[in-house]
Amino acid sequence: MFKLDRKLILSASVFTAAALFVAGCAGFSNSNTTHAQPSIDGGVYYPVVNGKTGPYLVDRVAMPMKINNGRIPTENELKAWDTDVMADGTGLPEGHGNASDGSEIYDAKCGSCHGDFGAGGAGYPSLAKGNAYSMMDTLKSQRSVDGADGPNRVFGVYWPQASTLWWYIKDAMPHQATGTLTEDEVYALTAYILKLNEIKIDGVLVDDEYELDREKFLKIVMPNRDGFEPNIAGPKSLPGVRAYYAKAENFGGKKVKPSERCMKDCQKPTVKNIYVTNGGIKDFVPPMATAKDLPKVESKEFNVAKAYEENCAACHANKSMGAPAIGDKKAWAAVNKKGMPAVYKNGMDGINGMPAKGGSNLSEAEFKLVVDYIVGLSK
Amino acid sequence: MSNNDSLSNEKKLDRRDFFRKTAALSATALAGTSIFADDDAIMKTPEWATKWGDPVTTNLYGVPSAYEHNVIRRSTELLSSGNFRASIAVTPIHESKGIITPNGLFFSRSHGGTAHINPEEYRLMIHGLVEKPIVLTLAQLKRYPSVTRTHFIECPANGGQEWRATQFNSVQFAKGFMASAEWTGVYVKTILEDLGIKPEAQWMLAEGGDSSKMGRTVPMDKVLDDAMIVWGQNGEALRPEQGYPVRLLLPGWEGNLCVKWLRRLEFASEPWYCKEETSKYTALKASGKAIQHFYANEVNSTVVSPSPEIPWTDLPDGAVVEIEGLAWSGMGTITGVDFSLDGGRTYVQAELKGLVLPKSWTRWSYMHTYKKGDKLLLTSRAMDDAGYIQPTIDEETSVMGVESVYHRNAVETWEVTENGEVNHVQIRS
Repeated sequence: MFKLDRKLILSASVFTAAALFVAGCAGFSNSNTTHAQPSIDGGVYYPVVNGKTGPYLVDRVAMPMKINNGRIPTENELKAWDTDVMADGTGLPEGHGNASDGSEIYDAKCGSCHGDFGAGGAGYPSLAKGNAYSMMDTLKSQRSVDGADGPNRVFGVYWPQASTLWWYIKDAMPHQATGTLTEDEVYALTAYILKLNEIKIDGVLVDDEYELDREKFLKIVMPNRDGFEPNIAGPKSLPGVRAYYAKAENFGGKKVKPSERCMKDCQKPTVKNIYVTNGGIKDFVPPMATAKDLPKVESKEFNVAKAYEENCAACHANKSMGAPAIGDKKAWAAVNKKGMPAVYKNGMDGINGMPAKGGSNLSEAEFKLVVDYIVGLSK
Repeated sequence: MSNNDSLSNEKKLDRRDFFRKTAALSATALAGTSIFADDDAIMKTPEWATKWGDPVTTNLYGVPSAYEHNVIRRSTELLSSGNFRASIAVTPIHESKGIITPNGLFFSRSHGGTAHINPEEYRLMIHGLVEKPIVLTLAQLKRYPSVTRTHFIECPANGGQEWRATQFNSVQFAKGFMASAEWTGVYVKTILEDLGIKPEAQWMLAEGGDSSKMGRTVPMDKVLDDAMIVWGQNGEALRPEQGYPVRLLLPGWEGNLCVKWLRRLEFASEPWYCKEETSKYTALKASGKAIQHFYANEVNSTVVSPSPEIPWTDLPDGAVVEIEGLAWSGMGTITGVDFSLDGGRTYVQAELKGLVLPKSWTRWSYMHTYKKGDKLLLTSRAMDDAGYIQPTIDEETSVMGVESVYHRNAVETWEVTENGEVNHVQIRS
C-alpha cells in the first residue's frame, strides 16, 4: 500500500546520504569508479568498472536509455492489486468483527487444517499455544539436549506486527481458496486468533465479545515487537542494516585472512562424529533410487488406493483433521445417511473445510470411485 | 584409449610417455594375450545398433533418456503442507554436472502450489514512490535491454533441518535446496531509469500473483545494484515451477526473496512486514532475538561425489578417483576451497574448476587414490572474496544456537566407511 510520510518529504535532507549511496550503486554514469564498498548484505559490491561488473560486460549504450514502455495504471487497477497492509495501518480498510463470529468462520473454513482452537495439524502451522505473554521466555529455549522444549513461534509469541496477520488472512487464506473472505470476516478471524493468544489491546483482554475494528486494531502492540534485529523501521534504518551486516559476528559469520586460516590441528580433540540416527528421515517422495535402467511401466488403469493416498489421506486418514476418518464406521454411517448422491455431491462441491473434490484433479468418475473406496472401507 | 585404469595411476604423463605406453598397450591387445573375458556389450549386437531409431520428429521438445528416470526432484512429507502445495522438491545434486542445473531439475518451492499463468494476461505493476507508475505487458517488459547472468538460487533452509544433528543421509536432501542457472532479464534499475524513483524510497515490495501472494521487502541498495526481473532460464522461458512467465532475481539472496509469478513492485519509505519475512525466514538466535531481513546466503560448500546416493562400494582398491564438490557464496565470488580427509582436523587446498563467477556455483575437485578399507571423513571449507570462510558447526551454533532454521553454512562432512559406503555425519563437541 502506497505510503508517503509527509514528515519524511519535509526532511528530505535526512536522506541525502542514503540517496548518494543509492545513486552510486546505479553505476551507469560513474563507470570508472573503483571504490570497493561493501554491500548492504555484508558481501562484495561489484561496481561497473571499465564497462564490466565483475566478469560481466555491460551494454553501456543500452543501459541508460529511456525506453518508456507500458502505461500508467488506472485508479481501479491500483485498488484491485494494491491490497497490502503496512504496520502503521496504511492499507487497512474499515470493518469490524468479534472472536465469537470468528470462531464460527474458523471452524467452517480454517479448522480442517489449523486444528481445533488453532492447535495446528499435520504439517500446518499452529496459531496459538495459550497465553502469548507468558511464553515469551520460550524464545530463548534451545533443544540442545534431548527432550528439551523448543521456542514457541506461534503468531502471538513471535510475530512482530499484527498487520501481517490481517493482510495474510485477507490475501492468502484459506489456503485452497484465497481472497474469498470479506473484510469483516478477516476482522472476526483476527479477533479470534488474538483471543486464542490471550492478547490485550490497550490493557483490555480480547474475549469472545471484543469487537475488533480498525481503530482498535491499530493499538495492538505485539509482545515480540522488539524481538528482531537489525531494526528496519524508520528513516535511518538502511544505514543501520548496512552496519549490522558489516559485522560477521552478528549473524554467525566468520571472517579470516586466507593466509591465517587453520590448515593443521583445527579441531579440539573432544569432537565427536554425530551420525544420522535410525536411518534419519527417509520418507522421500518418490523414494531414493539411482539405477540407470528403464522405468517400470505404470499401469494405465486408475489406481483408486493411490488416488486416495495422494488426495484424501491428508485429512481423512485419522480424526485429527476434523474430517470423518476412513474406517470410522460411526462417522461414516452419519454421512451415508444423506444418501450416496448427496455424499458424492458434497465431495464434488466441497463441504465444511474440504475443498471441491478434495482439491484433486480427478475426473468426476474417478472421484466417485475414490468416495466408494472410502465408504467401502468404513462399513 | 580403453584402459583408463592403468593409465590414470600415472599422475603426470608427458607426451612422449603417453605415446610409448599407448603403443605398448596396443601391442599387448593385438598379440591376443588379454586376461579379460569377452564383454557381451561389445560381442553381442544390441537392437539399437541395427534397427531404425526414432524419427527426428519424435519429442519435438526433447526429454532425457528413459534410463535417467531416477534423476529427479524429490520431496518429503516432513517439509510439506497442503498436499505438497506449500512444500519443496529438491534438486538431485549428487547427479549435478558443471554449474548449471537443467530446468526440469531446478528445485521447486512454492507457498500455494505452482501457478500456471497465461502470458497474454500477465501484467507487472510498478508503483508507489516513483515519479510515474506503470503497468507492463510481458511483451513490453521484454522490450527492455536484456542482461544474462549465471547465479544459484538457494532456499535459506538448505541444511536447516540439521542444526541439532544430521537427519538426512542423502546429499540431495541435506544440500539440494538449491540449484543454479543462467538467467535472462532486465535490471530493475534500468526500468527505474524510466520511471524515476523518489528520494524517500527506501524499500521495494515484491509480490507474486499466485494464490499465496508471496511477498518480500527489498532494500533499495539491492534494487539499484544487481536486482533483475527475469523471464529466461538456461536459454528458454522460465519453467512454471520457477515463476513463469516472470520472477524477481536477487543474486545471492534467499530464494524466497526472488519472488515468483511476480506481479507487483511497490516503493515506500517504510518496510512491509510480509508473512514470509516475519513468521518465516527469520533466524532465531540463542539470545532469543531473531535476525530479520537476513538477505545473502553465506559462503558454503559440500562434497557431491561420492555421496550416500552414489557411494564407492564398487570402487576398486588403488583406483584414482576424483572427489568433486560445489562451493557457493551469495556474498561474492569463491576464492578457494580447502578439503580434508579427516573431518576438518587437517586441510589441504582443493582445485577450483571451470568458470568462477560471483554468486554462482563453483566446482572444485580433489584427486584421491582410494585404498579399500580406509575410513575417511570428507570435509570441505570454502572462502569468498568478501573475506568469509565457512565456520565449524561449533563456531556457528555458539552464536546462532540450534533453533534458527535458516542460513546454516557450517562445514559438511561425509564419512566413507571401510566398505565404501557414504554417510552424512556432523563433527561437533
